[in-house]
Amino acid sequence: MMELAKNNTRHSKRRDSFALPIGSYLGTLLVLGVLAIAMTPVLWAILSAFKTRSDIFAGDVWPRTWSIENFRDLLAKTLYLRWMFNSLFVAIISTVLGVFFCSLGGYAFAKFEFPGKTVLFWIVIASVSIPAFTTVIPLFGWLARLGLLDTYLVLILPFAANAFGIFLMRQYCIGVPNELLDAGRIDGCGEFRLYWAVVLPLLRPALGTVGILIFIASWNSYIWPLVMMRTDDMLTLPVGVASLKGDQLPEYGMLMAASVLSSLPIILAFLIMQRQFIAGLTQGAVK
Amino acid sequence: MTAAIAHTIHKAGHSRRRLRRALIPYLFLAPFFLTFLAFWLGPIIASFVYSFTDWRGVLQARFIGLANYERIYEDPRFWLALRNTAFYGLVYVTLLNTLALALALAIDSTWLRFRNGIKIGFFLPVTISLVVAAVMFEMIFANGVGLLNITLKALGLPQPDWLGDPKVAIWSIIILRIWRALGYYAVIYFAGLQAIPSDVKEAARLDGCRPWQVTWHMTLPLLKPVILFCIIMSTIWALELFDEAWVLTKGGPADSTLTIVIYLYQAGFQYIELGYAAAVSYVLTFLIVIAAIAQKLLIGREQQ
Repeated sequence: MMELAKNNTRHSKRRDSFALPIGSYLGTLLVLGVLAIAMTPVLWAILSAFKTRSDIFAGDVWPRTWSIENFRDLLAKTLYLRWMFNSLFVAIISTVLGVFFCSLGGYAFAKFEFPGKTVLFWIVIASVSIPAFTTVIPLFGWLARLGLLDTYLVLILPFAANAFGIFLMRQYCIGVPNELLDAGRIDGCGEFRLYWAVVLPLLRPALGTVGILIFIASWNSYIWPLVMMRTDDMLTLPVGVASLKGDQLPEYGMLMAASVLSSLPIILAFLIMQRQFIAGLTQGAVK
Repeated sequence: MTAAIAHTIHKAGHSRRRLRRALIPYLFLAPFFLTFLAFWLGPIIASFVYSFTDWRGVLQARFIGLANYERIYEDPRFWLALRNTAFYGLVYVTLLNTLALALALAIDSTWLRFRNGIKIGFFLPVTISLVVAAVMFEMIFANGVGLLNITLKALGLPQPDWLGDPKVAIWSIIILRIWRALGYYAVIYFAGLQAIPSDVKEAARLDGCRPWQVTWHMTLPLLKPVILFCIIMSTIWALELFDEAWVLTKGGPADSTLTIVIYLYQAGFQYIELGYAAAVSYVLTFLIVIAAIAQKLLIGREQQ
């Protein structure tokens, strides 16, 4: 009887695994085919970056000679390295400031009762639905008058006050046990020390999520630096790379070298920290 | 007497401490809110006020009532921008959500191999910035040297001028946008699918439902809130289209890819008519809110 039952399951399993593979392989193959198409633009850009101008216009798939001329031109003839520095610098400072602002504020929203709490919170949430460029118009006028266009400050501060960031931080802070905070207070721990030494370490995963959210928002932003930055020295990577296009026939090879170099650091960071990246981007609903 | 004084001193200290404690949440919120006020809330409100003026940045703004809004209403170029944006949004939202949902169902299915690798692969374009992606696609769309036309030529098919033909250019931007967003939405749909308890699907399967019946009658209705979220989010982004269209075509050729935000950008930052641009931005805000409410009502009502 036992033997029969065992036989039976083995039989049904074999039938299942017999039914599975062909469909499974075909389906997987189809999805992989779509993925291959999705990867093509990136691969094509990499190949093109190593082609000489004549190779590009010949329209061959593989470069006849692998040339690094495009990269050399990009670094020597344009301000590419400066733009890369600008982008990295403002994104890192925005991220550090933003994570600090959002965690401190989110903690206050989650663990304190105070007059005006609900109103303040809903103002932040409602602001998310207003398109960001609504703010660009008056700020352009004001900052121009204050002589603050073309400063790093302008590229940093708006990203440090991320509405999604403070919302996410509040959600995470709600989970911090009250007993822990009360115990800290009884021990005479000051309120800021309590945040710094007790709450912040507990928020570590959330800090990563919100950090990536803010970093990417700053790194990818286009219309904001496009409007606010007036000299070539102060451009960020997206504005600088887009400006390389020029009005005449573009230097395709150099453009591809620029786009490949610009996406490489982020792609590498993504491959190392996939989980945090996907969490940061999908929970924060950034472009 | 001394006891009374000691008591008062103690009480004063106590109330000062109480005051300090009451201030603490405000102090903690201050860095965020001061920045938020200066760079988000203040400008959002100011923009609304400026939309009733002829502000040009330099001279004092003059109140001109609804003149900006009337001018928007009368400008055929604005209606063209609106029509382009609506067409683009409709195609983009429909195609993107269909493809992303199909992809998510595939990733969620039992038959798929290399699940994690495939998910990561499709998400990869999301990490490339919109503008850099647009520059990358120059080599896809360019006439003569672009991969699309090289392929079409090899196959002996007609080769449209992807960025230069007014009828085709908007499709090029749709292709780029879907490429860039597909993995993002697939991951959101996938997370929604994972949240559906598998015994629900299992029970239906045991009751003799075919896989597609389970998907159609069980999975999709349960996924409705996620679908609604994705449709609203992608509609908002579609209405705010700027980066790729500006980089690839600058709204051309012949205004065929002119979007509302490009129209706004030109008014505000090329002609420096800030008051007028502010009015355009509020028309767009209004459209976004209307679209979100309409979708919520349409899909939400069906749910009951």
